[in-house]
Amino acid sequence: MDKLKEDKIIADLLPQEFGKQGRIWVICLLFFAALGVFAYGRQLYYGLEVTAMRDYASWGIYISNFVFFVAISLVGSLITAVLRLTNVKWSTPLTRIAEIIAVSAITFASLIIIVDMGRPERFYNLFLHGRLQSPIIWDVIVITTYFFISLLLLYFPLLPDLKIMIGFKERNGKWLQKLYEFLGSFWKNTKAQFKITDKAINILAIAIIPVAFSIHTVTSWLFATTYRPGWDSTNFGAYFISGAFLVGAGGVVVAMYIFRTHYKLEKYITNDHFDRMGKVLVLLALLYLYFNFNEFLVPAFKMKKSEEEHLLGLFTGEFAPIFWFAIFTSMFIPIFILLFKKGRRPLPAFIAGILVVVGSWFKRFLIVTPTLLHPFLPMHDVPANYHHYIPTWEEWAIAGGSLAGALLVITFFARIFPIIPIHETIIETESLENEKHF
Amino acid sequence: MPHFLMAQAVEKNTLVLGVKYYNDNNAAQHLVISAKSKIDGKFQKIGNIAVKVFITNDSNKNNFIGAGITSERGEFILFIPPSAKTEWVKSPTQNFIAISAANKLYEEARAETTITKAKIKIDTADGKIVNAKLFIKVDTSWQPMAGVEMVLAVKRLDGNLNISETATYTSDSAGAISGEFKRDSLPGDQKGNLILVANIIDNDVYGNVAAEIMVPWGKPLVYTTNYNHRSLFARRGHSPIWLELLAYGIILLVWAVIIYLGFQIRNIIKLGLD
Repeated sequence: MDKLKEDKIIADLLPQEFGKQGRIWVICLLFFAALGVFAYGRQLYYGLEVTAMRDYASWGIYISNFVFFVAISLVGSLITAVLRLTNVKWSTPLTRIAEIIAVSAITFASLIIIVDMGRPERFYNLFLHGRLQSPIIWDVIVITTYFFISLLLLYFPLLPDLKIMIGFKERNGKWLQKLYEFLGSFWKNTKAQFKITDKAINILAIAIIPVAFSIHTVTSWLFATTYRPGWDSTNFGAYFISGAFLVGAGGVVVAMYIFRTHYKLEKYITNDHFDRMGKVLVLLALLYLYFNFNEFLVPAFKMKKSEEEHLLGLFTGEFAPIFWFAIFTSMFIPIFILLFKKGRRPLPAFIAGILVVVGSWFKRFLIVTPTLLHPFLPMHDVPANYHHYIPTWEEWAIAGGSLAGALLVITFFARIFPIIPIHETIIETESLENEKHF
Repeated sequence: MPHFLMAQAVEKNTLVLGVKYYNDNNAAQHLVISAKSKIDGKFQKIGNIAVKVFITNDSNKNNFIGAGITSERGEFILFIPPSAKTEWVKSPTQNFIAISAANKLYEEARAETTITKAKIKIDTADGKIVNAKLFIKVDTSWQPMAGVEMVLAVKRLDGNLNISETATYTSDSAGAISGEFKRDSLPGDQKGNLILVANIIDNDVYGNVAAEIMVPWGKPLVYTTNYNHRSLFARRGHSPIWLELLAYGIILLVWAVIIYLGFQIRNIIKLGLD
């Protein structure tokens, strides 16, 4: 490939400084993150009393948020591992977006668990006195493992790009240059180095799939191993994984659109990418819809007394507006939009992605909280507010702050590192040209 | 009289007091005082009723033996105090009187019971035979009493279990009853001890009289616990071996891969520096 084309790719894909929009975006995120920190400070000072969580609804939007973060983090394994191992080449520009979403989501999944604890300073007891039989311990182990694997999967493909970026000393500035040199000054583009990284990436791509499946299966078992209406299901692992793939893919489509329009990456994240991701989204939404039918239709058909109140609460009762909103926005409407070719163009696909992500967040809330408000034994002699769960402003602020925090990680990553792999793009463009030539 | 005062007077209910006599194992005798009233057509236990109890009669204030307030279950227990001994020894029969004063809800109430002092002796014989004899006080001596229904039972939690299919026994001319213990393999204490009891229940003449004896006829209770067993539900450090092997195996395998990749980064660095 000629040098001019290579330089053009590098110039296009190098990280760019925040423009006016970028600065506003960062300020907004910082504001929400700071508000979350302030609310958490109040929670630390006054205790969990500042939340609306009580004896029955002891898991609220923090745990919903946790399940959401864990779900969206699964996209790293989908885009990077599943598509890589199945030799799907078109996904190359999306791998880093998927991986940074995975890393930031899994980081905040860990943090939100600590936020949910009444006495966070006792967190270390989970490690010192944890029971191996408890799904909570499995979750702690598997989240930590997934975090490191995702980090490695982010780092290895970044090495050749770091070498490229180190070459732009003046453009980088002092601190970024130091960071790039610290992370990748040893990379010399040698064959031996490439051989090691290729092997490492392949190992990671294989290793991340069972770990990613474990993380979400174990998260589903936090619920399914508890005998409660709505959670007592053998289907939960698969149900959670299918939902996680859906929200993860939706998140990637949203990120693709934002990076494409903001950084003018139309040549790299093409309409074809949206078309293909749109099809993937339809497939995943249909799959998740299938599991939803299983999850709700079977117990609704039997309508056991203990499940009845919970199911009717979802279908026609207190939670019905959120339930149908979540079902339609996360599945039916995106499927309808993306089934048509025109719907798989960037903007409609972006809207479908947003719907998937928003609907999926509420879906997680519906998995967690309504069950807790419908215990097997009737609620007796409890204050009236124990029968309902309406999150307080502190909970919303903390949950919102954690989402802002995850977005900040992605935003700053895109400011510091190329969000589309430069080296891989050059190699792929080169091989495409060679194919055309021959 | 104002109307509301008249209405209040009309609403007062009739309180029914009860006095039951108990002689458990020929030890300290006690009375159970109860209070009930008919509300909405049904007798209901009435709590918070103050009751004074007298021995022999209530005309002499020296015969006052105690007072109590009925609990939510509508009763209280009163042990006959040593101060009642003078009255107690005077006669082979004994009278007890319970009186509650009128209050806002109930009229004054009074109950009286008369018992003939009785005691039971219990013993065992070979072949797991349980013998019991009933004696009643006649003048100053104890005489066997015939024709009284008695129960032979073994004490269990919250109740007595008859020693055989025979529900009750009637004392013969020697005041004796005899029954065979047919409750084999009944769990006892750690040494296999059971407590047998011979008693008269709610008898109009003798009240409630009981005698107990401990016998090693039960099955020794072997305390079993799965506290130290390995299971999915056990405490920390007691998970099943298969789970530990599986879980630690997976963790080691995955972390071995992560550590191996860490070494690969080191190799890349070394190659770069070379």
